Amino acid sequence: MTSSANIYPADDASAVASRASRIGLLVGVVGLAAAWFLGSAEDDHMRHFWMSYLVAFFLLVTFTMGGMFFVLIQHITGAKWSVTVRRQAEFIMGAVPFVGLLAIPFLIPLFSHDGVEHGGLLWSWVYPHGEHQALIEGKVGFLNREFFVGRLVFYFVIWSIIARYFKKNSLAQDADGDEARTVAMRKRSAVCIIIFALSISFAGFDLIMSTDPAWFSTIFGVYIFAGCVISIHALLTLSSMFLQRKGHLKGMVTVEHYHDLGKMMMAFTIFWAYIAFSQYFLYWYANMPEETAWYLRRIGDEWGYLSWFQLFGHFVIPFLGILSRHVKRNRKLLCFWAVYMLTVQAIDLYWLVAPNLYPEGSPFSMVEVCTFTGMLGLFVFAVYRQATKHSILAHRDPLMDQCLAFKNF
Amino acid sequence: MTTPKTHGIIAEFDSVDAIIAAANQVREAGYTKWDCHTPFPVHGLDDAMAIKQTKLPWLVLVMGISGCLGGMFLQWWTNAYDYVYIISGKPAWSLPANIPVMFEMTILFSALTAFFSMWIINNLPKWYNPLFHAASFTKVTDDRFVLAIESRDPLYGEATRGLLQSAGALAMEEVNPPEDDGLMPSKLKGWLGVVFSLMLLPPVMIASSMYSNSSEPRVHLVPDMDSQMSFGEQEASSFFADGRSMRAPIAGTYAQEDDHLLGEKPGYYTGKEDGAYLTALPVEVTQELMARGQERFGIYCGVCHGMGGKGDGAVSRRAQKLEMATWVQPADLHTDLVKVQPPGQIFETMTNGIRTMPGYARQIPVQDRWAIVLYLQALQRASAGE
Repeated sequence: MTSSANIYPADDASAVASRASRIGLLVGVVGLAAAWFLGSAEDDHMRHFWMSYLVAFFLLVTFTMGGMFFVLIQHITGAKWSVTVRRQAEFIMGAVPFVGLLAIPFLIPLFSHDGVEHGGLLWSWVYPHGEHQALIEGKVGFLNREFFVGRLVFYFVIWSIIARYFKKNSLAQDADGDEARTVAMRKRSAVCIIIFALSISFAGFDLIMSTDPAWFSTIFGVYIFAGCVISIHALLTLSSMFLQRKGHLKGMVTVEHYHDLGKMMMAFTIFWAYIAFSQYFLYWYANMPEETAWYLRRIGDEWGYLSWFQLFGHFVIPFLGILSRHVKRNRKLLCFWAVYMLTVQAIDLYWLVAPNLYPEGSPFSMVEVCTFTGMLGLFVFAVYRQATKHSILAHRDPLMDQCLAFKNF
Repeated sequence: MTTPKTHGIIAEFDSVDAIIAAANQVREAGYTKWDCHTPFPVHGLDDAMAIKQTKLPWLVLVMGISGCLGGMFLQWWTNAYDYVYIISGKPAWSLPANIPVMFEMTILFSALTAFFSMWIINNLPKWYNPLFHAASFTKVTDDRFVLAIESRDPLYGEATRGLLQSAGALAMEEVNPPEDDGLMPSKLKGWLGVVFSLMLLPPVMIASSMYSNSSEPRVHLVPDMDSQMSFGEQEASSFFADGRSMRAPIAGTYAQEDDHLLGEKPGYYTGKEDGAYLTALPVEVTQELMARGQERFGIYCGVCHGMGGKGDGAVSRRAQKLEMATWVQPADLHTDLVKVQPPGQIFETMTNGIRTMPGYARQIPVQDRWAIVLYLQALQRASAGE
């Protein structure tokens, strides 16, 4: 069975992609080396460096998992609007094994004997101490180093398998145009999205939530998920704009597609606010010490300004900013909001982690700047490296015609 | 020229391209009162007809904001201003608690505005569209694309037919609706009349039962809510080992809000010091305390003992009227028997109850009980003319 939609040519962006990935690799290595150097100068057993490394690392996790969710949901719903940008999401998702390699350094904070007075360098359940010692020791059955490492390996293996399956089939369709692949992927994506939902939730519990092992929130996984989805739509917007500037995807990603990416970005900004408020609301109402401690740490003078930023900077301002259709159909404005939402996503993750390790106030310095720059460089490398070998357009997707004909009313 | 009752003219086309081309021509000719009807949504037709972007989003935005602020105002007015009610120990005006309602009101107002504005903008509801009188219009649900120009368009005239002809119309038909078109059908009028009269019945029934008496027992629509199976005060229960339905607080428990009173004078909580009743109030006597005592006496004591304390409260009078055999007349608080009691004894009676009077420790906080003692003593003196 072959497809009739064979009239679109492949889009080979290998020149742009290899240049971007080389620059990304350079920025990544230099950035992380500088962060390591700056961090080791702080005489805190690299605690500050590891904290910023965790946040920047998890930013890449939310990016790649956003890519995975995007690919899965488009297949499940049989979405037509997204076909021309889906390949880029597949590349973003395809970066997941590389991101998995970046998790290997976590063995140092996990098994190091430094930072015992803080309970460990990153996760204070490594050496339970302080007023909640008994409570945390009760969680040792789940929060112990061996099981933790095992779970991380499990997440990245299962994510790599899913990413590989969908990327491989999509690339194979470039060659044979077989519509049966689209049908098969739709069936598999339904199972995979359940695996995705559980694994991203537990990855959020493990890596981020357990930086305060005494605290718990069942909605936390959904919160992380909201950030993933905002990020992927912002990333696809920026990546498409970048590639179009370099003369690719001509007429393939139109104002209609940008409009839809903008809509989804705004919709999930509202979703994020809904989830963030749901979590806050219940804890505020019940007013139970073990639940409110986490928020108390964030509303005092030390971190309060960042929490206010979360309310206005992460919801109110972008909501009003992206609400109008004219903004979503304007390249420059949409580009601004996409960069803005990615910045806010990084700040959000920082807000989730840093107050747990530094309740006395933000340690923000060049360490964070270098770590984030380096990680983003490596992300660009890992994503565009794939575009040097393959078309950046799923050009023989059977839904291609309808994707290009689609218009917003 | 056309007769005044002509609605307009419709022209048939057989393809998407033909109707778009025709729409372009009609638009360029300067017509304003015209429309296209197609069997399915046609991409590009909006542009060809130069249909402006709808204003609906602005209406929705304005009403959404109104809903949000209205929801906020509603909660501020009801809970923080007009009838302050403390829920879950939160301040009467606390924004987080109000956000769900504000959110829902935003959605409700936005959705209703979008829905009804859409109707109004589209001239709905309408009894009948005059175009339905054109025989060829039925094909629009099948395989024909129809362009209709209304006669109220200033350019409408003999030239219209020629324009449509040159635009490639396969057929044309003048739409002549009958005289009574667009009026409410008389049958519908009759039925609406019946429905409205029936709708008046329930309010009439409610009004009639409000102003009439009945010897029938009242109807319990939800019996398990009217008579709940909960235990009463001091009732026995086989559930707990000690046979009591009421659970005693754990030893050493004291109410949190009384923390600051722990340093109070001896006998503040019991009315006794070293086994003897207090002969003076252990609290500072102020005008506020007296006023508070008067108010609390009216709320808790007056219903049985009477507002003047003569044992003639509303409950008591009612019980006597019903000739209830087990009713024990509440004490007249002005008898010598009561008057000789020191404040500590009155306090203890209020706290623990006496004969058939239950203890009021649960309902009346300690400070208020002393306020009532103060007021009662003033009442006794006033009654005796002191």
